[in-house]
This record gives sequence, C-alpha cells and structure tokens, in this order.
Amino acid sequence: MTILISPPVDPAALPVRVRKRGGGIWRSFLSNRKANIGFGLFFLLLVMSVFPSLFTGVDDPTAPARYMPRLPPSGDHWLGTTSLGQDTWALFIYGARQPMIIAVVAGGLATVISVLVGVSAAYLGGIADDVLSFITNVVLVIPTFPLVIVLSAYAGHPTLTVMIAVLVVTGWSYGANQMRVQALSLRNRDFLESARVRGERRLYIIVCEMLPTMVSLIIANFLGAALYSVLNAAGLQFLGLGDPNSTGWGTMLYWADSQGALENGAEWWAISPALGIAALGVAFALMNYAFDEISNPALRPVRRQRGKKFAGRFRPASSVAGSAVSASGAAGGE
Amino acid sequence: MRHGKSSLLAVAVSIGLAASACSSTKHTSDNGNGNGSGNGSSSSTSSASGSTGSNSAPKTYKQGGTLTISNEQGQTWPCAFNPFNASNNVEANGFIYEPLVYVNTLQNAKETPMLASSYQWNADKTQITFTIRDGAKWSDGQPLTADDVAYTFQLMKQTPATDLYTLWSGAGLTDVKASGNQVTLTFKQNAQVYFYQFANLVTIVPKHIWSTGDAAAHPDTWTNANPVGSGPYTVKCTPNNIEYKANPNYWQPGKPYVTTVEYPAYLDNQPANQDLASGKAQWGSQFITGIKSFYLNKSQDNHTWSPPVLNVALVPNLDPSHKATSQLGVRQALAYAIDKAKVSAVGEDGQQPPANQSGVVTPTFDKYNDAAAIAAAGYDKQDLDKAKAALAGAGYSPSNPLNLTVISVQGYTDWDASIAVIKDELKAIGINLTESSLTMQTYDDKLYKGDYDLAYVGQPAGGPTPYYELREWLHSANTAPIGQSASAGNFERYQNKDVDQLLDGYATASDADQLGIIKQVEGYMIKDVPIIPVTESVDWFQYNTKDFGGWPTADNPYAQPAAFNFPDNEQVLLNVYSKSAQ
Amino acid sequence: MRYLLRRVGFFLLTLWAALTLNFFLPHFMPGSPINALRAQSKGRIPDAQLEQILTSFGFKPHQNMAGQYLDYLGNMVTGKWGVSLGSSLGQPVSKLIGTALPWTLGLVGVTTVLAFLLGTLIGTVAAWRRGGVVDSVLPSVFVVTSSLPYFVVGLFLVLFLAIDHTWLPTSGNYDNSIVPGFSPGFVGSVVQHAALPALTLLITSIGCWVLTMRNNMITTLAEDYIRMGRAKGLSDRRVMYNYAARNAFLPNLSGFAMSIGFVLTGAILVEKIFNYPGLGYQLYNAVNSIDYPMMQTLFMLFTVAVLGALLVCDLVTVWLDPRTRAKG
Repeated sequence: MTILISPPVDPAALPVRVRKRGGGIWRSFLSNRKANIGFGLFFLLLVMSVFPSLFTGVDDPTAPARYMPRLPPSGDHWLGTTSLGQDTWALFIYGARQPMIIAVVAGGLATVISVLVGVSAAYLGGIADDVLSFITNVVLVIPTFPLVIVLSAYAGHPTLTVMIAVLVVTGWSYGANQMRVQALSLRNRDFLESARVRGERRLYIIVCEMLPTMVSLIIANFLGAALYSVLNAAGLQFLGLGDPNSTGWGTMLYWADSQGALENGAEWWAISPALGIAALGVAFALMNYAFDEISNPALRPVRRQRGKKFAGRFRPASSVAGSAVSASGAAGGE
Repeated sequence: MRHGKSSLLAVAVSIGLAASACSSTKHTSDNGNGNGSGNGSSSSTSSASGSTGSNSAPKTYKQGGTLTISNEQGQTWPCAFNPFNASNNVEANGFIYEPLVYVNTLQNAKETPMLASSYQWNADKTQITFTIRDGAKWSDGQPLTADDVAYTFQLMKQTPATDLYTLWSGAGLTDVKASGNQVTLTFKQNAQVYFYQFANLVTIVPKHIWSTGDAAAHPDTWTNANPVGSGPYTVKCTPNNIEYKANPNYWQPGKPYVTTVEYPAYLDNQPANQDLASGKAQWGSQFITGIKSFYLNKSQDNHTWSPPVLNVALVPNLDPSHKATSQLGVRQALAYAIDKAKVSAVGEDGQQPPANQSGVVTPTFDKYNDAAAIAAAGYDKQDLDKAKAALAGAGYSPSNPLNLTVISVQGYTDWDASIAVIKDELKAIGINLTESSLTMQTYDDKLYKGDYDLAYVGQPAGGPTPYYELREWLHSANTAPIGQSASAGNFERYQNKDVDQLLDGYATASDADQLGIIKQVEGYMIKDVPIIPVTESVDWFQYNTKDFGGWPTADNPYAQPAAFNFPDNEQVLLNVYSKSAQ
Repeated sequence: MRYLLRRVGFFLLTLWAALTLNFFLPHFMPGSPINALRAQSKGRIPDAQLEQILTSFGFKPHQNMAGQYLDYLGNMVTGKWGVSLGSSLGQPVSKLIGTALPWTLGLVGVTTVLAFLLGTLIGTVAAWRRGGVVDSVLPSVFVVTSSLPYFVVGLFLVLFLAIDHTWLPTSGNYDNSIVPGFSPGFVGSVVQHAALPALTLLITSIGCWVLTMRNNMITTLAEDYIRMGRAKGLSDRRVMYNYAARNAFLPNLSGFAMSIGFVLTGAILVEKIFNYPGLGYQLYNAVNSIDYPMMQTLFMLFTVAVLGALLVCDLVTVWLDPRTRAKG
C-alpha cells in the first residue's frame, strides 16, 4: 500500500537539492521568462486586489441602479453597465480581491497540510505511514468536485471561510502524496543520518533538516494548490454555490449568466470576470511551470541549435517525479 | 448577437433537415406546417391577423397544427404519468387527466363543469353530490362513470400517499358513494373552502386500470408509462420530448383544435427562451430576462401576459424575542421606506408588479383590494420622512442605526437583486440590511422555525380568492412557537384572535359577507404590518400568435396561462387553435 | 502475486471507506428531499403529505442511521440502487443512470481518451525535437490552456463559434424534433451538439498530457540505455518509441487513471454549461434536490471508476515495467 498514485519511480533517483541557504531559487526564478510573465501578471492582480481604488472611482460597485442598465462600453463606463445598473469595470476591479484571497489562503493551508501529512508519514513510517497514506489515498480517489458541492451545500451559508475550508479539505491530498514520496527518498540520506546520530529531536530533524531540502517542491505545490483553489472556487460560484453578495469574479460570472448578459447586450459583464479568472490561473500555472524548469534544468528551453541535436540532454537529469507530478498537479486542479 | 442566436438554431435545424432529406431521419412531427422549425420560412402567409378570436362568442375551429411548449424543467422527462406522483403529475394532469370542475382563479373563482356536469351542496355544505357527465369516455374507449370517480376518492383513502390534498386526513372527508351517475362526498364539517382542492385539483383516474395489477398494488409509486385518461390528449414520450396527440375519444367533439403538442425537455432557461424568441416554441412559461429586447422585439407575433397571483414579501419576525422586528415602528418604517416600484423595475426586470400592503394581489383580485385604506395609511408610495419618523419612534435613527439580516434563497438572483435595492433604500433611513443567502434547505429550516430577523418569502400557494393566501399568512393555526415548524404559511408568527375569527367565519359566509371579511382582514394588514408585501409573483406566460390564436389574455383571462399550471392548462389547450389549419 | 493481492486489498478497503463517506455526507446535509418536491408541486401539498409520499418511495427519515447504513452497503453491492427521491421521483436509479451514461461516456469518455492520446503524442514529438519550433512555443501555450477553467473556455467558444458565426448549438444532446435512431440526421445532430462541449474538454485537458509526457520524455532521453540504443545504431524512430516513449509513458498512464476523477469533475461543469443530460448533470441535480439514492449511487460509480482505472493501470504497469513485479 505504499505507493499508490505516484508514478513508479525509484525514490533514490529523486532530486535532493543540496542545501544552500540564500537566494539560489529566487535568482533562477528571476531569470526565467515564464516566471517573469507569470509573476508580473500575479503582481498586477495583487495590486488590483489590494488597491482597487487606484483603478476606478466607484467605491460601492455592487449598489444597484446607480446607472442606466445595459449601457454599451463608453468613456464613462469602460465596460458598459450591467442589467442591474452597476458599472461593469468597477465590478471587475473589485472582483479581483476574493479569488486572490482564496488562492493564497486556501493554497497555503492546503500546502501546509500536505507537508505535515506527507512528511510525517514518510518520516514516522510503519503503521503511522500506513494510516496516513490510506487517508490520503481515500481523499485522493473520491471525486473531488462532487464532494466540494456536497460540502458547501452542507455548510448552508456559503461564506468565504466556508469556501476556503472546503477547498482545503479536498485539496491537500495530492500534495501530501508527493511530499511523502520525496521525503521517503530523503529518509536514509547521510545528512539526516548524521543528525540522528548527533541525537537531534525528531521535530528538529524534520523542520530544520528535511524541509529546507524540499523547498522547491513545496513552492511548486503551493502554486498548484492555489491554481486548484482558484479554479474550483470559480466553478462553485459559477454554479451558484457561492455567496451572491460577494464581489468575486466567480460570483460576477454567475450573476451575468443568470441575468442573460450575453443575450442582453451586457457581454462584458460575463467576459471580464472570465478573463480575470483565466489571468489569475495562468499566472499561477506559468510560475509553477517555471519552477519545474528551475528545479529540473533538463526541462529548460534550449536554444535552437540544429547540428547539435542532443545539446542539453545529457546534463545530469534529476527529476522525473518532481516535474511530472507537479505539472499534472497543475492541470489536475480543474 | 441576439438575433445571431436565434438564427443559430435555424441553421442547426436546417442542417438537420438537409441531412434528413436524403435519409430516413424521422422527426417527431412531420405534418405539414409546424415541424417545430417553422421560424419564418414555411407556414402560410400571416394573413390571419384576427388574434382575438376567442374573446367573443364561442366559435369552433378545424383541427390541426403542432404547438410547442417551452418551459424549463431542469431535467429530462421521466416519462411517468401518474397523477398521484406530486413530482411529475404536471405532465399528466390537464393533458391526460381531468378534474370534476374547473375553478378559475383569475375570474373570481368562475366555475366550468368538466367531468361533472353539475353539483349540489346540502344545506350546511357538509355533503356534495356531483352528477357525472354522460358520454365521457376514457382514451381506450371505455365509458367514464360515477364508479370511476368514486374509486379515485376511495383510492386516496386506501393509500394515504395518493391523497395529495389531505382530503381524508385534513379536510374531513368521511365517505364517498356512487349511485347511478352521481357521486356523493360527505364531510365532517362545512367543506366549501376545500372545493377548490377536491373538485378542481383532484383528477379522475379509470377504475378498470387502477384496480388491477401494479396500479392497484402501488397506486402511489406506479410509473404509468402508458396512461389511459379522459383528457384531450394521449401521450408518447422519450426523455427528450413528450408528444401529446389529440385524443380521438375526447368527450368534447371537435376538440382539442391543435392535434399535436410537443413538450421538449429543457434543462435550462436559456435554450427554452431562445426557442421562444425564434418562434420555434409558441407557449412559454418561464422568466425571460430583458424580455422586451430578447423576446417581444423579435417578432410582432410575440406577446406576454403574466398575471400576478401571490405575494413576495419581506417577512419580519414578530416574536418578542426579536426586539427590533417585533416593534410596529420598525415594520412601519420598512413598509414606508421601500420603493416597491423600483424593486419591481430593477430587481424583477419590471415583470413582477409592485405589491399592496393590504396583501391583496392586484389586478387579479382588484374587487377585494381596499386601495383607499392603503392610501389613507400612506403605504401607496415610498415616504422616507414617515419611515424616519416611525423608526425614530422605535428608538433608531441614522446616528443610531439598526442592523438587520434578511435571509433569502441561494440561486434566486431576482431576489438577490431586489434585496440589493431594498438595502440601498433602507440605508437612507438608518437601517443597515445584510443579506444572508442560504441553501434552500437551510433557508426553509430557519424560516419555518423562526430563526431569522427578516426573511424574503414567496408564499407558495394560494387559491381562487385572496382569502386563501391571507389565511396562510395570518391565521394563528398556521404558525408555531419559535423553534417549531410553521410550514403552513404564517412564518412571521402573527397571532390575532380577531383576525382568526374573521377568517374562520369566511367559510360559512355569503358572497357579499366574504368580501367584507377580506376587507376587514386587510385593515389588520395595514394596521399591524405583520408582513411587508414587496412584489407580486406571477404566472409566467409568453405566447406567439403567428399560427396560433385563442390564447388567454388580460381581456379574456379564461385560465391561468402557465403551461405547468393544472388544471388551467387544459382550458388553454381546449381554446388554442392553429390558424393555418383553418 | 503478493503485490497484486495487496492492490486488490487496497482497492476494497478504499472502496469501503469511500462508500461510507458517500453515505454519511449526504445524510448529514441539512434538509431533505421534501424541499424539491414542494417546489415541484407548486406548494399545493402540505409538508406532512409530502413526507408520506416520499416514504412510499423508500424515504426513511426516521429510521436509525446504523440500520440505513447497513442496508445501503448491501444495496450498493447487490445493485439494488432504489428509486430517485428527487426531481425524477419514483424512477429507478439504474434506469436514470442507464439513460445518462451513454451520453457521458460518448462525450467525456471519448474526449478524454482522445486528449490523452493526442497529448501524449504531441509531448513525445516535442521532447524528441527538443529545441525545435514546436518545442519552444508549445509548452507555454499548453501551460496557459491547462490553467483555464471550463466555463471560461466554454464561454469563449460560445461567443466565437456559436453566437457570432452561428455554427454550433450550445445546449442539449440532440435536436428534440428528431426521433432518435441510427439515421444520418440523428447522428449528425448528436455530433453537432457534442462539438462545443467536447472542444471545451479537449482544450482544457490536453495541455497536461503534453507537458507531462514531454517532461518525462526529456528526462528519459538522458538515460544511459537511450545512449546505448543510439550507439547500437538503432533508428531514431525505434529509439524514440520503443526505448524512450515506452518508459516515459508509465507515469503518464497512472496520471491518466488519476484523471478519471477530474474528468468526472469536468463532466459536471461542462454538462451544466452546455445542458448536456449526462451523469454530471444528474449528479448536480441530485445534490440540489437531496436525492439520496441518486447521489449515493453516482458517488459510488464515480469512486469505482477511479479505483478501477487505478487497478487496471497497475496491471498495465506491471506488464510494461517488470521491475514493479519484484518490488511488491
């Protein structure tokens, strides 16, 4: 029952980042083009969500009947107005905050649980491992989205907290599995052995010795989980399982859909939040992929050199699992 | 973009047709003019402009044509036609099964004899004798008799789950007897107020089918895939479409005029509305956002008339444990501050009219409405000064604002929009309103048990006079202490012995007295403000007059027009005719 | 052999855990099927009567949970799935699922397999032609497409293909005016109606296969045995498919098994967006109307589908990769 879902790889072949304090990862991150684009996009959306008033003069975007309904885009209303007489551009700007919070908080919490469960399972071994892996695998094979629907219906009043809780509960298992596989491969490495011989406490070994070597996987995991949260939250809200009074993009899309925005001349009411969600998703996916390239140099784009077909291919390839898993983790979130 | 969508369907259909021209693709209705795709190309010239045919003297028409109903169901058809199955009897009643007497809510409970040609009450209205129509037949050719009628009511006694309107357990029905062509129902007490249920909502089933086999063993759960009924249509069903064909054995000769009725399963409003806009479907029964541009402007043959039938109200919790909403001043402030016309225009796209504080739905029940009393109390229009004064009397003001939460149902976006408008208006007088949008289950739980300050509520069912709805809202028998379920309609926990007495007296009062009673009850609605009616929910109805005439209209409201409303749907089916078949 | 037994053991244990969860989750949801029925009967029927009606269809609001749970486990295994308590009140669950299943399999199943095969192929080629035009553009493109939500893709497809150019229908599974049967018109209508939802699924799911396969392939190509194959003078094609792709394919395969779960997720959203009457649509309806039997059966089937796929994938892996046999 040890390895269920993870690709059948030899744990010994897994990457072990030589512990390097400092900004090695960060530096490579900055020099990666996909990372730059992804981060730039993310940063723009972050600014939008923190300081919406920089982008629009409207301060209460959801108040109804402030303007004529269904106006076409114009100088006054860049994206026109909604059927309820709200300014679409203002709604769009204010809509950035909620998905951003969901991405960061839900993604972060899910990653924390992944690390806790995955690393403890690997490190403790034995029955603890069996039980933890079993739980992980059960959560993993239960179809997530139906579960999310049931859970959020169960919660009754769909507040942001409920939404985040639901996403965390259903979103941690994939990462936990990866963490466990990688932590397993670390368990018998020399530096941990020596720490054990030194008589360090378990907690110290896990936190101070093991985790730092897994930073890149953890970050990749966070990005994947954030993406998963954004997409699933938007999906839930689109289905009408969110809080209709909130101002997030998913909710905006839900309103647009239920008020027939496309048919009634308020197209931007639907298009703008769709683009917003897509942009946030793309930002996380690009950063995530860039991370794969950073932690696995073999994946980096090579310059097109005809004659030398195998350039870059014979570098010591490090990871199969790390990259494969996180790439599919990114897509798996939908 | 809009017309694009309708032509999209045209293209889709024409591709389908082109492909079928050289093959054996069978269409559900391949008869001449109306194969469901007649949005412009085929059909005779629209010379038949006299669309108000049925208004004057009864006229007969030739049979023919195919009518398509567009009403969103949110699922494919189960192809089950058991009239006792509350979940899908809408597809059976009116089309296949008929009541004894049709009672029209929109015309002051005007009665039309159906399977019963006449009836007679005894003096104290505890016993009613129906005379069953001669010559009525089941669709398999067997005659319909008083035995069938009696058997239907007996069935409800034997299998209580089929007694949908609780006639035996609630209305006090004690005995059913058939003799000759007469059926007599005996009740424990005056049963006049239940007439609407047992004569109009109960539909009659054939004894010879329902007394054998599975039908007799489990009449409540039987599927009844091939129903035998007395109504104007017989049925052929696939999950995607129900096809109703005119019943050759129908007891009204020459009727129904329309020979085929298609009822496709629409999973969502949007495609249903598109088919209406394009003319592919001619009888619509759901909300269309932006109806003017989306539907009415598409064709001069597209019309809408959605008569209001019930109230949608802001319901305050009157229990003393709810300090703010149990104060009259707060409720008056709410009633004065809400601009109902604006809520109607913005929240409901202007398609649900503003409601009256009297609790009487107008224009449907105009006769009962005490407009003068409403105006005298100042509830006929928004009045922020009065609202502020009333609120000040209760100890709140913009500097000492009142915070209230209103519960509503997740997914009812028109309610969300309405509440957003209300919220905006209340802010001006110093009430901060928060909407709590709950799943249906949680909402019902809180509403019934009284766990809320304010609730946005649509009263689900009424009757042919305002009495039925007012009784649901106001009679203390319909309420329960906080924490217990008050599912019968008095969610606000209003208790007033005088009102109870008035309502109790209604059943035995004469017609003129009944009018007086309702006006007195309205007085309490205005004085005590137990609820604040905001808009009036309507019977959604859109109709196309290009090929079809005889529709119910505001001038001739011979039935509630929505296709899902039985037994009213039967009246529509018996009046609508195809112009090209004439 | 021991390995296989362990796998089957795990399969059963997980199935049991999932079934248990499937039972208790819906039952702890607030409310009951009564709400849906009340709405369907337009509020004309008193609540007590509604409960009685549901009881006659097998609704047991007052029986204790333990008893219901045991009954449920037995029924799930023996295939006595009961009748719907929701919007299709009284219809056998098996019949409802039978009606919807072909549509989901046809739409979602075919599209998923197609996306997997196509994606794997593109990934293989991209990695083989490392540094070529395809490889420098594709990864970024697929990173973007795989991060788009279904409804966003659906929305734009509707905007660009269906409305502006009036090409394709956006709702339903076939034209209702056609009688179903194996006629060209019907088949054409089915294909037409499936086009947009299928495209939506394809666009959102193909990227992940391309990227995973490409990455695996690149890593595999750096292995010694590839170098040896080339040194032996084998043809490029032979090395690419028999040596590299075969090994790189393994992780992708288990990814595919895993993805069955995500596919079902996609089914719900895509079927909802395009009003496609498949299993996903039914699950959404069942949850909305608290249709216990329907929810439980669909959950069970979904879980079995995922677990079954994993099991099959394990078997295939054992067959493709002899090393796993030894590992146990």
